[in-house]
Amino acid sequence: MLEGAEFYFNVDHGYLEGLVRGCKASLLTQQDYINLVQCETLEDVKIHLQTTDYGNFLANETNPLTVSKIDTEMRKKLCREFEYFRNHSLEPLSTFFTYMTCSYMIDNVILLMNGALQKKSVKEILVKCHPLGRFTEMEAVNIAETPSDLFNAVLVETPLAPFFQDCMSENTLDELNIELLRNKLYKSYLEAFYKFCKNHGDVTAEIMCPILEFEADRRAFIITLNSFGTELSKDDRETLYPTCGKLYPEGLRLLAQAEDFDQMRRVAEHYGVYKPLFEAVGDGDGDTRLVLIFYKHKVQMNVLAFNRQFHYGVFYAYAKLKEQEMRNIVWIAECISQRHRTKINSYIPIL
Amino acid sequence: MAAPGLRAQMDSLLLQLLRDLEELEAKRAALNARVEEGWFSLSKARYAMGAKSVGPLQYASRMEPQVCVYTSEAQDGLQKVWVVRASAQTPEEVGPREAALRRRKGLSRTPEPESSPAPRDPLNWFGILVPHSLRHAQASFREGLQLAADMASLQIRIDWGQSQLRGLQEKLKQLEPQSA
Repeated sequence: MLEGAEFYFNVDHGYLEGLVRGCKASLLTQQDYINLVQCETLEDVKIHLQTTDYGNFLANETNPLTVSKIDTEMRKKLCREFEYFRNHSLEPLSTFFTYMTCSYMIDNVILLMNGALQKKSVKEILVKCHPLGRFTEMEAVNIAETPSDLFNAVLVETPLAPFFQDCMSENTLDELNIELLRNKLYKSYLEAFYKFCKNHGDVTAEIMCPILEFEADRRAFIITLNSFGTELSKDDRETLYPTCGKLYPEGLRLLAQAEDFDQMRRVAEHYGVYKPLFEAVGDGDGDTRLVLIFYKHKVQMNVLAFNRQFHYGVFYAYAKLKEQEMRNIVWIAECISQRHRTKINSYIPIL
Repeated sequence: MAAPGLRAQMDSLLLQLLRDLEELEAKRAALNARVEEGWFSLSKARYAMGAKSVGPLQYASRMEPQVCVYTSEAQDGLQKVWVVRASAQTPEEVGPREAALRRRKGLSRTPEPESSPAPRDPLNWFGILVPHSLRHAQASFREGLQLAADMASLQIRIDWGQSQLRGLQEKLKQLEPQSA
């Protein structure tokens, strides 16, 4: 691959890169967050958001305003921006965008299958699906009873098809198997995305590969943490870890044997990147703090992506930063609506 | 004279009533704290899992209760309220209690014992690998349930105490004009 993206990147993708940098500049600032934290009700939050780039996005919402409605409208706004980028993109950026949407598609598929298990109507769930992960065969997902069914009947034409290789089985989809399916699909997807970025080479690989490596390792840690005290066996757990991160192969093998938080911490201490993260967790409520610290590190990496030009990572980074912003706003809104303000400042500032 | 004896009775009743009220207030504050904690842990779980992953989509509109409320008459004729997990195989009191418990759970005493499937943990509605904040939420709500049952029993005792006190006051009024 001929290096030197600065010579020909702008021909195909310059317009979109300019656009995404403009969008990035309109993310909420520290001052905006300080204003939001001082709100007393969700109506105040709506008024404050009107002064930001969000504008009147809640104008059509009927009373009463709930946190769930705010979240849905924010997602729709991100989706509109993303669709605009996607419609104006050329290859290979279009494939990159498709890869980005696959993670939301996986979430939607799992949401639909869980809904089928709980005997919910498809319409009810479709409303709550992530708009970025929409695909035409969504409504048919709930008829499938085994993963092979799901693949052959529904998902074979979608971008998710290549990720089903390890997941084909005849086991009926109950809660345990749905969880295994979710994680295995995500593992295949992440590894495929990593390979795509690596093969593309150039600045995109330099930016995206470390980000995806961290994502893979972060998932491995979180899967391990959440599997303590559940019926998931250690062998099953190991099959869920994505292998495109720094922890592969020795770290993942050690992680699969871990039985509590301290053993997990000892595995992390072998790696220069993860040791300081675990040290910041300290003692006490380790799990929630670890999640927060991982998100903080992710935000830092995504912000740094904007320091280089002529690569696709800016689009991925923008989507992830926007997601974090939505998480922040939802957190602040929940603290306000529950009148539980002690931890309201646990949001992660971005700009 | 019956009056001093009556007064002594009234005093002890009043003291007991005040003690019960204090306990009720404490339990109410504890229940509020548990429920608040539970909802806050749910918000933390939403932060980790995604806002739509912990919500009404995850549970069925009709569900089997895991915990049942039972009442019983204690020695002093007062009703006591308690909560029992539906999967508990051994009833807390043997004897006449057994029949009532069995009836409630729907298990028949007929020769062919049909064991109902073990009730599924509601935690699994959200997946197998759930964050610990969701487990904390479940634990907080469970403690809250127990507190609610205790509060109901206390409330019954307080009402009874109040009516007793009123009865004694009436008796005292009747005695006083006579002795005066």
